Amino acid sequence: MSNYPLGRALARGACVSALAVSMMSTSVFGQSVDLSKWSPEYVRSIAGTETYNTAEQCGAVTPLDYKGKLTFWYQGVFEGDPDLLRQYYKDFFAAFRETYPNIDLQEQALTYNDLLDKFRTALLGNAGPMVVRLQILGGVEFASKGYLQELKPEDVGWKTEDFWPGAMKSVMWEGKAYGIPTNNETMAFIWNADIFEKAGLDPETPPATWDEVVEYSKKIHDELGIAGYGLVARKNAGNTPYRFMPQLWAYGGGVFDEADANPNYGEIRLDSPESIRALQASYDMYVRDQSVPVSALTNQQADNQPLFLAGQVAMMISHPSDYNVMLDLQAKATGADKETAQTVIDNMRYGLIPTGPDGKRAVVFGGSNIHILNPEYVEGGEVDEAAAKAMVCFWTSPEWSLKMAYAGSNPGNLNGFKTEWMKQRLDSIKFLDVTTSMLPYGIPFPTLPETPEIMNIIIPDMLQNALTGAMTVEEAAADAAQKVRDVTDGGGL
Amino acid sequence: MTTMTGKLSAAPEHLTRRPNVLRQMWTSRADYLYVLPAIVVMLVVIAYPIYYTIDLSFFKTPPGLQLRDKIFVGVDNYGAILSSEVFWKVTLNTVIWTIASTMIAFVLGFGAALALHRDFAGRAILRAILIIPWVISAVAASYIWKWIYHSDFGVLGAVLVQFGFLDRQPNFIDNVNSVLPSLIVVNIWREFPFAMIMLMAGLQTVPDQLLRAAKVDGASAWQRFWHVTFPHLRGVSTVTILLLAVANFNSFIIPWIMTGGGPSNASHIWITHIYELAFGRQRWGVAAAYSVLLFIILMVLGYFYVRALSGNESKEHGA
Repeated sequence: MSNYPLGRALARGACVSALAVSMMSTSVFGQSVDLSKWSPEYVRSIAGTETYNTAEQCGAVTPLDYKGKLTFWYQGVFEGDPDLLRQYYKDFFAAFRETYPNIDLQEQALTYNDLLDKFRTALLGNAGPMVVRLQILGGVEFASKGYLQELKPEDVGWKTEDFWPGAMKSVMWEGKAYGIPTNNETMAFIWNADIFEKAGLDPETPPATWDEVVEYSKKIHDELGIAGYGLVARKNAGNTPYRFMPQLWAYGGGVFDEADANPNYGEIRLDSPESIRALQASYDMYVRDQSVPVSALTNQQADNQPLFLAGQVAMMISHPSDYNVMLDLQAKATGADKETAQTVIDNMRYGLIPTGPDGKRAVVFGGSNIHILNPEYVEGGEVDEAAAKAMVCFWTSPEWSLKMAYAGSNPGNLNGFKTEWMKQRLDSIKFLDVTTSMLPYGIPFPTLPETPEIMNIIIPDMLQNALTGAMTVEEAAADAAQKVRDVTDGGGL
Repeated sequence: MTTMTGKLSAAPEHLTRRPNVLRQMWTSRADYLYVLPAIVVMLVVIAYPIYYTIDLSFFKTPPGLQLRDKIFVGVDNYGAILSSEVFWKVTLNTVIWTIASTMIAFVLGFGAALALHRDFAGRAILRAILIIPWVISAVAASYIWKWIYHSDFGVLGAVLVQFGFLDRQPNFIDNVNSVLPSLIVVNIWREFPFAMIMLMAGLQTVPDQLLRAAKVDGASAWQRFWHVTFPHLRGVSTVTILLLAVANFNSFIIPWIMTGGGPSNASHIWITHIYELAFGRQRWGVAAAYSVLLFIILMVLGYFYVRALSGNESKEHGA
């Protein structure tokens, strides 16, 4: 294991520790909702208790008759999202244009895997948009480079306490906020009860630990000849770290100490015995038992969805929106496929993500944040501040931060949980309470500029090196730890 | 004195040559004016990026710094590349990818061109069908082939199992040993029509009377091909091979979409690795150094391409 330069580590540690403590604690004072009471019952009890008028609230930030221009890029819907979400995105932009008819809005949607590359390239040519909505791991990279303006919830009419402390941590760089969370997500464990039953497992009881996931996956494969667990290990895809990091943390491992109560990212733990054990679990499923899809190395979650629907994968980690995705896919199926799909949907179950051997449960605290750029990096060299704030206010409002996360995520603005739409959502989106129950187990990615490279390149590389036999599990972990060491020291290839 | 005179007498000869060049340029100023817009465009979109890439290759660009704050490291990036294990792995992949794709596509294209040069029923339809891989979008083709090769539910694997060639679904693209050959097959499938078209055009230039004369003289089909047809195709063959080689060195879409360079870097070639270094990892300096090396190799290929073209022209003029 190696260390960061001490001074750098201490400085970072000081910046993040206070926020990290609040994230890991379930007892946070001053929040708009009482996080210490967080449970599916509590979420149900507050849903529909407040009404909000978005136009009125955002009108206080930027007058509704304001005339201006705005360029906006955002991580939009992609092939793995349900149709329901597509409709909400259309509704959002229609509502914004209706509320601010004199703002000339030029929006551009980009997929998760393309957004960072395109945004980085645009910034090099000072051709960025005025406002950008980025995945949660992207903000710190750009804030550290000075591309983003300081921006906190109070700048657009909200309070910092209106947002998850863990989410606020993801927009902080050296003690200052550079963005506002739009939505926050924690995934859940999904299984097919019918397959469980056919394989001789209790259909209503998911594996409690990751060791049991390995065991169940093998049993399902041995009994039925299909894949047990929907492993994902593609490189350059956000899906891979979102599914491997919960496993890594549950075993007690980590890239750094990000899963600790007070992380300072000073210690690299990818080659620790706990991390190796987590990697070994994936190796056992892919190589030893061959109980997961062979295509895992080139698959994204969007590739696993049809396999699950076809009854060829029994377990996977994903969003509540996957239920809606299955409904969409089933509607498009024909003949016998339609029946098979219906059986899978009827037998779809959601549960908490399994724990590690010591009972530790973890999930990536994911989501997205919205940012305003510094004018010099924007095409034309100017940012229309009022128009930009109107957009930020609109998206982070209780109404729209909930609606834009309707099927797949949770509102960034905690007041969204109190709206009438949350109540509707609880009634219409199956398994929502399971994923909201995972929120307190959420661990944010390390807030370092190097995090995108670590999560999107180094972690998948480690998995691929071990699963293809290019390296042993220990060698792959050591190689990944060395790469993290190199990248944090500014070197390596 | 004599020596001095000798030097002086040589000087006017040298000096008179320069004004002649300038005078010639002045005389042909209209021609230069015509090509000036093209030269300006080339300077802006080709020369400046080349200069900038070379310049950038001497800098380090850590993820926490903006590009303008880059750190000068001299030739360290080149040293890091050349001493990296990944570089040599990717280089070997690139060489295998380029040579195998180029040569096999050429041979298949040559065979198809010879077959389609003969007159037979349905020739036009067959020619149109064979051109399809070349006209289809590379992105669409990559996605289609990804599903054809799918390691769990691929059509190709299912057919092989169905007909009893294999007892289980083969692993084409999720295996470090088979991924590169599998991608090369896709690349050849896409490129051989190009070779076929080029060589079909070349076959039109083989004088029919020579072939008939050779036949009258008792030459066998192979002798007619080897001694008459093939020499006439040498020029177009060289150009085709060079164009394919350059295209393959720069080939990005198929490996990137189908595997992203994986698994475990087994299908990374230079161009995909450069892209990942630059856009995925923000190692702009290292990526620039990589690009400079690739540029040098392509320039060498370009030199041979131009020489081949010039050779053809002079042969034609000579003939």
